[in-house]
Amino acid sequence: MCLGIPGRIVEVHDTQGLPMGVVDFGGVRREVCLAYVADQIKPGDYAIVHVGFAISKVDEKEAKRTFEVLREMSQLDELEWMQDLTP
Amino acid sequence: MTTTCPIPIATAERVQLGHGSGGKMSAALVRERFLPLFRNDILGQLGDAAIVDVAGQSLAISTDTFVVQPLEFPGGNIGSLAVHGTVNDLAMMGAQPCWLSAGFVLEEGLSFDVLDRVVQSMADAAREARVLLVAGDTKVVERGKADGIFINTTGVGLRPADFSPAPARAQPGDAVIVSGPIGRHGIAIMTAREGLAFEAEVTSDSAALTPLVNALRERVGDAVHTLRDPTRGGVASTLNEIAAAAGIGIVLEEHLLPIPGPVAAACEMLGFDPLYVANEGLLVAFVPDAQADDAVHALRSHPLGRAATRIGRCVREHPGMVVLSTGIGGTRVVDMLPGDQLPRIC
Amino acid sequence: MKYLSEYRDPKVARGLIAEIKRAATRRWVLMEVCGGQTHTIVKQGLDELLDDAVEMVHGPGCPVCVTPLEQIDKALALASRPDVIFTSFGDMLRVPGSDCDLLQVRARGGTVRIVYSPLDALELARKNPDNEVVFFAVGFETTAPANAMAVWRAKELGVKNFSVLVSHVTVPPAMVALLESPVNRVQGFLAAGHVCTIMGWTEYEPIAAKYKVPIVVTGFEPLDILEGMLLAVRQLEEGRHEVENQYVRSVRRDGNQPAQDLVSRVFELVDRNWRGIGPIPRSGLGVRAEFADFDAERRFALEGIHTAEPEICRAGDVLRGVLKPFDCPAFGTMCTPEHPLGAPMVSSEGACAAYYNYGRFRSAV
Repeated sequence: MCLGIPGRIVEVHDTQGLPMGVVDFGGVRREVCLAYVADQIKPGDYAIVHVGFAISKVDEKEAKRTFEVLREMSQLDELEWMQDLTP
Repeated sequence: MTTTCPIPIATAERVQLGHGSGGKMSAALVRERFLPLFRNDILGQLGDAAIVDVAGQSLAISTDTFVVQPLEFPGGNIGSLAVHGTVNDLAMMGAQPCWLSAGFVLEEGLSFDVLDRVVQSMADAAREARVLLVAGDTKVVERGKADGIFINTTGVGLRPADFSPAPARAQPGDAVIVSGPIGRHGIAIMTAREGLAFEAEVTSDSAALTPLVNALRERVGDAVHTLRDPTRGGVASTLNEIAAAAGIGIVLEEHLLPIPGPVAAACEMLGFDPLYVANEGLLVAFVPDAQADDAVHALRSHPLGRAATRIGRCVREHPGMVVLSTGIGGTRVVDMLPGDQLPRIC
Repeated sequence: MKYLSEYRDPKVARGLIAEIKRAATRRWVLMEVCGGQTHTIVKQGLDELLDDAVEMVHGPGCPVCVTPLEQIDKALALASRPDVIFTSFGDMLRVPGSDCDLLQVRARGGTVRIVYSPLDALELARKNPDNEVVFFAVGFETTAPANAMAVWRAKELGVKNFSVLVSHVTVPPAMVALLESPVNRVQGFLAAGHVCTIMGWTEYEPIAAKYKVPIVVTGFEPLDILEGMLLAVRQLEEGRHEVENQYVRSVRRDGNQPAQDLVSRVFELVDRNWRGIGPIPRSGLGVRAEFADFDAERRFALEGIHTAEPEICRAGDVLRGVLKPFDCPAFGTMCTPEHPLGAPMVSSEGACAAYYNYGRFRSAV
């Protein structure tokens, strides 16, 4: 299931016992319930947010690794294409 | 309850909000319920303004009603919107806006503070746009019947003989140009609306576009085939209307669309497509490819048009259809929406 | 946007597409069980670009589409009551019930409000103590924790005028039902990354083993989906059938424990009727007895609801992956986004709407 987007925790507070926070999504801010990530998250971290709830902390190391692997894969292909093109 | 009819809800028996959204339902409402009764050639053009000839002078006439909620939003209020909206409709037909009338429906209980701010904004906007408010009317209705204020403005402008942009004039080979970043107004409204509760660094782009139109006219003259301001329904709806009116296809390049970061972010959150979000200080221009760079330069020479850029081109293929070319090499149709875009979770 | 835009890099995407084409020695059939993934695939034309290597079958991954007709009809009945403020996520507003949809109920005078979060609905209840506020709690396992929290908080704060109409569904039983079907052609699955963010992937291990299908937990951006497809294709080529995690930046094997805990305290597994598919035992969530006051079905007497699906709508076949939207006789003619016959044409994630909005061009040219 679907629309969950990553945002940066800007501030953490407590609303009548419920852990809440303000999350910044590339320039847009919203109040988000942090109850399900409360023990792992602090300001500056990134979380995936779905319907106003943080459902996971973005593992930044893993995110970076995925992207590097993917980029490498595409660069290898580029070299192969170029080899195919050279007469 | 229906058991045998295979099309249970094809015809709504009442007006719905979607009929006012600027999408397919709106178009159907006008086409099926209004046009047949008011049949005449001028109305049938369905341009942003009507062009009539009076003693050898072309006049442009346009009307618009403003029902925006909330009344005040980042970057403007219903008053400035009411002036800009009608001024822009006249300007899009190539006319110099000259005179406005304004009709107010006020709700019993509306605070005078709010009314004063709205009227002050209208006066400021009119002065800046160099239009005179020459006629007006005010009615008051009971509490609950008017959402604070409704405003109708009707505008009259003078169109020079040598400048006549019109939707049907767009042709294959024309470049599609926008005068600035897209999606600002709709998102600014959303941030001010209760229920979606988010803050964004986005203000409405509400503005009078006459200076941009004049800049284009000075530089490129009647090579400006079509002008349109993409208000409700966004750039996508406007381009669909033009494609249909002119019988051409339009191809947009995704990587060329100027979408500000916070607008993109808000759209991600709500599941919106920025191409369908309303704008109030933006124009799209159709200009032959050979003159497109000049047109962009002309727009950029004015503060309102600093971010002007090409976003696509007109083609002979798939007439009436707008398509988008994605970065990966895919293509998809950018259709008119039936009604309003709805925030989604899925 | 960080952690979003990078996964849309066109160059990397083209590289991945080439890699998938290279890896596949035959045309494999994969299914994604998530409306958001369907959206990305069709929006980017990924299935078109990969056609010779992979056939993507769009599964029942849109909770809007599979919400049982009875629940929609109950929603319409509640929304029509003068004392009720009916709140819902935006997607549900245009889904047709037996007679009309929530937008038409609004036109007839019902109070229907869109909310972004279930907590917003609860807040509305607190601000309007003289009204009953009902929230339409739909979704997969991803949304259940949020909906559970709204009920939990309502009880904790002593809110007396808030209730939920529940229509949750869970993915694994649906997957099994599809795999058990004699007409099943699907050879591998992309599992929904946000469902698994909550639930982890342990439930999929016995499925992969029993039915010998690779299951790759996948994200939602183009690069995620392409990488997910590549991992699935490689498994199929190598004769493996394991659960693999592509969406490593968000999903861990055990998922989100606090979320799972609250869901099981507020909700319990019930049998659910999936629209277009039929009843699947223990595939849905209902409100536990301790929270009965907050269950709209128990709180309001919902009598005389007669449910009737239009006969010509083939939503069920589309959701099972047996029929492609454009092969349906009603597609684009009687059934369009303006007058939908079934939910897959309404929801922006529904397979039919996705094809209609993004795919028509390919048929036209």
